[in-house]
Amino acid sequence: MTSLPRRTALAAAALAAAATLASCSSGPTADAADGSSGSGGWEFTDDTGTTVTLDEAPDRIASYSDYALGLLSLDVEPVAVFGRVDVASDERFAEYPEAADIPVVGNSYGEIDLEALAETEPDVIVVGLYPEDREGTLALDGPRYGLADVEQQEQLEAIAPLITVVVGGTGSDVIDNFNRMALALGAEQSSVDEAKTEFDAAAADLQSAAEESDLEVTQMYADASSGIYLAKPDDEPEMELYRSYGVDFTDLNPDDGNYYWDIYSWENAAQMMTGDVLLVNVEGFQADDLAAQATFAAHPALVAGQVHAWNQVAMDYHSQAGHMEQLAEILRSSQDVNPA
Amino acid sequence: MLTTTTTGRPRRALAVAALLVAVAAACLVSLLLGSNRLGLGTVLTALVDRSQDVGDVVWGSRVPRTVLGLLVGACMGVAGAVMQGQTRNPLADPGIFGVTAGAGLAVVIGLYVFDASSVLATLVLALVGAAVASVVVFSVAALGRGLSSPVPLAIAGTAVSALLIAATSYLVLADETTLAGYRIWVVGSLSGRSLTGITPALVFAVLGLLCAVANMRSLDTLALGTELATGLGESLLRARLVGLAAITLLTASAVALTGPIGFVGLTAPHLARALVGGGHRWLLPASGLVGAVVLLVCDVVGRLIAGTAEVEVGVVLTVLGGVAFVLIVRRGRMARL
Repeated sequence: MTSLPRRTALAAAALAAAATLASCSSGPTADAADGSSGSGGWEFTDDTGTTVTLDEAPDRIASYSDYALGLLSLDVEPVAVFGRVDVASDERFAEYPEAADIPVVGNSYGEIDLEALAETEPDVIVVGLYPEDREGTLALDGPRYGLADVEQQEQLEAIAPLITVVVGGTGSDVIDNFNRMALALGAEQSSVDEAKTEFDAAAADLQSAAEESDLEVTQMYADASSGIYLAKPDDEPEMELYRSYGVDFTDLNPDDGNYYWDIYSWENAAQMMTGDVLLVNVEGFQADDLAAQATFAAHPALVAGQVHAWNQVAMDYHSQAGHMEQLAEILRSSQDVNPA
Repeated sequence: MLTTTTTGRPRRALAVAALLVAVAAACLVSLLLGSNRLGLGTVLTALVDRSQDVGDVVWGSRVPRTVLGLLVGACMGVAGAVMQGQTRNPLADPGIFGVTAGAGLAVVIGLYVFDASSVLATLVLALVGAAVASVVVFSVAALGRGLSSPVPLAIAGTAVSALLIAATSYLVLADETTLAGYRIWVVGSLSGRSLTGITPALVFAVLGLLCAVANMRSLDTLALGTELATGLGESLLRARLVGLAAITLLTASAVALTGPIGFVGLTAPHLARALVGGGHRWLLPASGLVGAVVLLVCDVVGRLIAGTAEVEVGVVLTVLGGVAFVLIVRRGRMARL
């Protein structure tokens, strides 16, 4: 029987889905030092408090796909990329033609071609980590996000030291920490400033769209067997960020003790039908599948056709600017389907 | 013959009658209890008058999953009994003939190539995959030492399964979309499935049951050992083919409707054997009834232990079914097979 591995696979999948968006309220990042090349060497303390020391500043960077996108947006070109999904068909890379030539050394969670990675001779490898709870607890003993296990992580560390990006805390903290790392890895301050200008404009636009529309936005994932996963805005840095610009996210049980999601079986769908707009995770059920669920079919937002596929986006200025423009457009084109 | 228990006909009839009552009770419980804690009156009113069914909870969720549980549980129970009889292996499961692996690979190919995920498409794919795998396994075994012993069949099944699972893993890992679809499909669950498209599955399930019925006498004879069975005039080829057809049709129907659900096929025949003895004329229907009860009860348990969420019946079965199976093995009943 294979039920147990199946369960594990699902748990891993759920964790992965959760982690793609997860957060913490206080990252151990406050005392982290900027990368510096003083006295000839290079030193950087990452979000986990781990200090990486090299003889000189690294210029060959291997990165998990999300951070590779952020680095590319700041004109830092990685020498190798690995991702949780097929990088070659990952639409988020489409705007960077130069990315087509970067060797892809992993296309699936926990699958990294170590030989191919080693051949690119990276100086550092950028990986991510998501907290385990709202307090921001980090499982520093376990493998980093996207890695199969501690053994694989050790194999990676044998190739080059790891720099860990913690995706937790407030959205702006995550972005600030990312920028700090990018600058240490060779990004120009002018590139960061430029990206910030774009980000600020998008944020202002999202803010005005949120004010004009006054809609409740539900961010969720759903599938047949597990039901509906309702993301909690307190635990997701991106949602926390957008909420600070006035976006009203569905938040039915902010303090019920569950981290990141509240899960509703299909029988309980009616309990979470308060939203005017549904942002549905691209990996789960889309509008057609949702309409086929008898207990969900009456959702006013679904009936009104206000369901949008929602992809996970990296926490950097440029990626977030694009995502906020997308959300502003959705808000402006949607109606209030739950008039008070 | 599997008749070390001297079970008399009246006692068997009584046991089957009790099982029928248990099935009815399990259906009732499945309709009344769920993760949405509706009152008894609310459910009954909704059952009688669908317009009173707020949020379509009863008709949109409880009725379909109860029907599916009944059908799939019965299919898995009977398929398990036929499998164990055919192989004379008390630990036989749908994997032993490569049936599940074949169905799984076909469903993944369907997702990968055609993006096909409807019940009908899954059913056809699962059926084709299960049938192809069965035929391959059967042919490999027949080419080797022949069909006289269940061992070559089991070895061929295991080998073909391994090959099919490797192919499935390759496709799943090669494509994220396929992986997502497979992940959802592969967790056996009665939740979130509608009765739309159930008709073809029902037809195949009935055909499978007919094959199982046609195989009953042969299964009794095979239990004596193949040499004796041949001596009694049993056509091994026919007996194996009909048995394989039953297993394939029943497993594919069940798998297409709810995804692969383990342990029912494994444990239901053991429980049934304890109640009605080893004669397949009684064992097959009893296994079907036990399978339905086990699946429905485990589904209800999964609905009640996770707050507003639910635990998939496949997971509940792994835990409870695993424990039950160990108990059965420890009591030594399997030794009699």
